[in-house]
Amino acid sequence: MNLARLWTIARLELVQRMRTVSWFVLLGIFATLLAGVTLLSFFAFQRTEQSGAAIYSTVVYITLLLVILVSPTLSGNSINGDRDAATLAPVQVTLVTTGEILLGKFLAAWITGLAFAVVAVPFLVIASFGGGVQAATVLVSLAILVLETGIIAAIGIAMSGILPRPLFSVAATYLVVAALAIGSVIGFGLVGASITSEATNSYRTAVYDDTTGEPECKAGAENCWNDPEEMVCGEWQVDTWHVPRFDYVWWMLAANPFVILADATPTQFDRQGNAVDAFGALKFGVRSAQLPPELEQRWDECAPYEEQLFPNAREVIGKTVPSWFVGLGVQIALAAALLWWAWARTRTPARQLPPGTRIA
Amino acid sequence: MSTPGIVARGVKRSFGNVHAVRDVTLEAREGAVTGLVGPNGSGKTTLLLMLASLLQPDEGEVRIGGIDPIADPAGARGVLGWMPDALGAWQTLTARETIVTTGRLYDLDKERAAARAAELLSIVGLEDLADAPARVLSRGQKQRLGLARALVHDPQVLLLDEPASGLDPQARIDLRLLLRRLAAEGRTILISSHILSELEEVVDDAVFLIAGETVSAERVAAAASRGRMWRLRLADRDATAAALPVAQALGWDVNHIPIERRDLLLHFATDTDAAAGIAALVRAGLPVAEFSAATGLLEHTFLDLEGGAR
Repeated sequence: MNLARLWTIARLELVQRMRTVSWFVLLGIFATLLAGVTLLSFFAFQRTEQSGAAIYSTVVYITLLLVILVSPTLSGNSINGDRDAATLAPVQVTLVTTGEILLGKFLAAWITGLAFAVVAVPFLVIASFGGGVQAATVLVSLAILVLETGIIAAIGIAMSGILPRPLFSVAATYLVVAALAIGSVIGFGLVGASITSEATNSYRTAVYDDTTGEPECKAGAENCWNDPEEMVCGEWQVDTWHVPRFDYVWWMLAANPFVILADATPTQFDRQGNAVDAFGALKFGVRSAQLPPELEQRWDECAPYEEQLFPNAREVIGKTVPSWFVGLGVQIALAAALLWWAWARTRTPARQLPPGTRIA
Repeated sequence: MSTPGIVARGVKRSFGNVHAVRDVTLEAREGAVTGLVGPNGSGKTTLLLMLASLLQPDEGEVRIGGIDPIADPAGARGVLGWMPDALGAWQTLTARETIVTTGRLYDLDKERAAARAAELLSIVGLEDLADAPARVLSRGQKQRLGLARALVHDPQVLLLDEPASGLDPQARIDLRLLLRRLAAEGRTILISSHILSELEEVVDDAVFLIAGETVSAERVAAAASRGRMWRLRLADRDATAAALPVAQALGWDVNHIPIERRDLLLHFATDTDAAAGIAALVRAGLPVAEFSAATGLLEHTFLDLEGGAR
């Protein structure tokens, strides 16, 4: 691995990108979208205390979404596009190695994707004026955004090396990214709903007088409203039904880029123990899926009323396990494996050529 | 002088059912320009890809300057310069940037790459367009840029795939002089083309490739020595008027002398016969203004070989 050659490849890609007008148009559209989102977020969260955290997280999420939507088109035709333009072989015949070509292109695609994050920076600064944005949140969320951009860039470059046709490799990149971002949610929902457990609900109510509509009281008591001790109780009844077991499949969401971003970012809570930003809200939702459902419920009108407390975000997050590093690990392993496959397909002297392609 | 810069022995390569290269054995000498002659689809480009270390042969072995490009691609790439037939250029880069970038990929440092770019732009005659983006270059200009790119690391072995296509006559003459100079410096040059008149002017040796196979030296020699047409023009009369006196001087039947535009076409079996023929014409007092082979040697050999292959 020779750094000068690696950077020559990356620079070549970046210079060509910089000289196309459409690239700047794209960045302009992106900035316009972010400006709109930031403005709307200020309205949406104006009554929230420490609204800055909520607005900041929204802008980071929109940036991640747009990077996911745009990145495959920027990287997904890199290698096979060069082959079509007959500019790949003249590079392969130089001293540059296949690994350097792939990594140089990956680096360039990553930097290209990061340009979107750079465009988002002013809006993130504006968002933080709302207050409540913590340094740890900024550091971790941006680090994850940078990593996710790199992973998507790597998948795109790899696909362009694996598949011979630019159109298909761009589509395949979208499919892989969609499998992570959307497919994981669909899989989670469908598989979780298919695995069910039998849950029972045992309940009994007080006996009510048909004419007066008042609860019947035990002997000696006149009025037993709100006094379960004195009520005449009915028979216990039991209902059974099936509940989905999302606690068995919560890990399917671990490699979702949006979930990774939420799960990794340290959450700030308000006084009621609720998350203050979108990262925390999503993290709470995903972590809640780890909790097994209550399989035996009781409801007794004749027992003194016990207040059933649902755990708040702070409690749920406190008693469940983080998964972002596993998800990130899976994504990195996937990207690395695809890059290796692309390397094997692009290596010269070529043993086999993809059908229908010429090397030059 | 006679060390082979390029050696291929029993090289085969197929793509699925298509046997692009069936059996190629060739040697190209150092200090000489070797032509690779063959019709479209005869496997010239595939062979050059294998010589250029981009494609692995199914069988056989290749040496570039003594290096096996399969075992040591980096070593082979350091000594070979390859110019593809497809005009691939980075559209938004200037000619100068293209050469500098390629130089950097050949491990030249920045100063060396810049100096080399300036030198090569002048050699291939692109100085005026040095800072114009490649997308505005014409086909011939891109071709010259491709040649400059192949020369950037001063390679000892040059593999040129159709280098003259798209070049204007002046550029073609410049290319010829450049190739002769590079060969004179001791480099090995293999140049493919199906435009034979173009090759004729520049090559020292020729390798014939037909249907993926190199034609043996004996067959080439036999084809080359087979009789061919000579073109004759007399100074003082047109072809029709010249036919009869020429036939008489040679002792031929006038009806067997075809006329093509201003010239008579005479068939001689060997060069010796042709020499005897012109001597007879001169002895007869005919004013011979032009007497030349109607087809170049390469073209003649090639057409004969191809005819034999069919």
